[in-house]
Amino acid sequence: MIFKEGDKFIEKFHLSEKIYDGFITLFKDRNPLHTDEQFAIDNGFKGRVMHGNILNGFISFFIGECLPVKNVIIHLQEIQFKNPVYLDDRLDFFAEVSGVFESVNTVEFKFNFKNIETKTVAKGKIQIGVFK
Amino acid sequence: MEKEKALEKVNKIFIDVLDNEEIVLSDATTANDVEDWDSLTHIQLVVAIEREFNLRFTSMEIQSWTNVGEMIDCIISKNK
Repeated sequence: MIFKEGDKFIEKFHLSEKIYDGFITLFKDRNPLHTDEQFAIDNGFKGRVMHGNILNGFISFFIGECLPVKNVIIHLQEIQFKNPVYLDDRLDFFAEVSGVFESVNTVEFKFNFKNIETKTVAKGKIQIGVFK
Repeated sequence: MEKEKALEKVNKIFIDVLDNEEIVLSDATTANDVEDWDSLTHIQLVVAIEREFNLRFTSMEIQSWTNVGEMIDCIISKNK
């Protein structure tokens, strides 16, 4: 198994206008919290809150493109959204191998996203299978 | 570790992973007897059991099990 407990990975992501627009175009979630600046402010946020599931797209990129092997598949993913993400935010993504289960060719990661203020905006776990 | 105690712990894991409070395992239980116990949930179950009992199985051991009783025997042998 190429992974071992404690292996660490770091990536940087930018929640750009292009990603935001693309997400809305594809999935049609135009809830005013995401699209109406005044609505978001009236509800206690600094501006339009980005869709949390955009972060799942970043995780997909991490698993699919950033690991040292490509023969992987996501079995399970859990995410908690802790703080809002806004348009143009730059996020640091940290992942650490939290478990290696060779009997079932499975690896678990703990991860978190931090914003520029080093505040955790989301955290969770991912379980992947490594197929032969 | 007593077999009964191990079975109880494994039963709790099955309830949690399969999200089914009605699961009651016995030595003779097989995957055919438990709804949603498929190949993917089998991986989740093995991961949860390895973590709970702080042990590691081999793929050969897992493939050799034909029922829950054999799984429990394997857990107990590794906890001796």
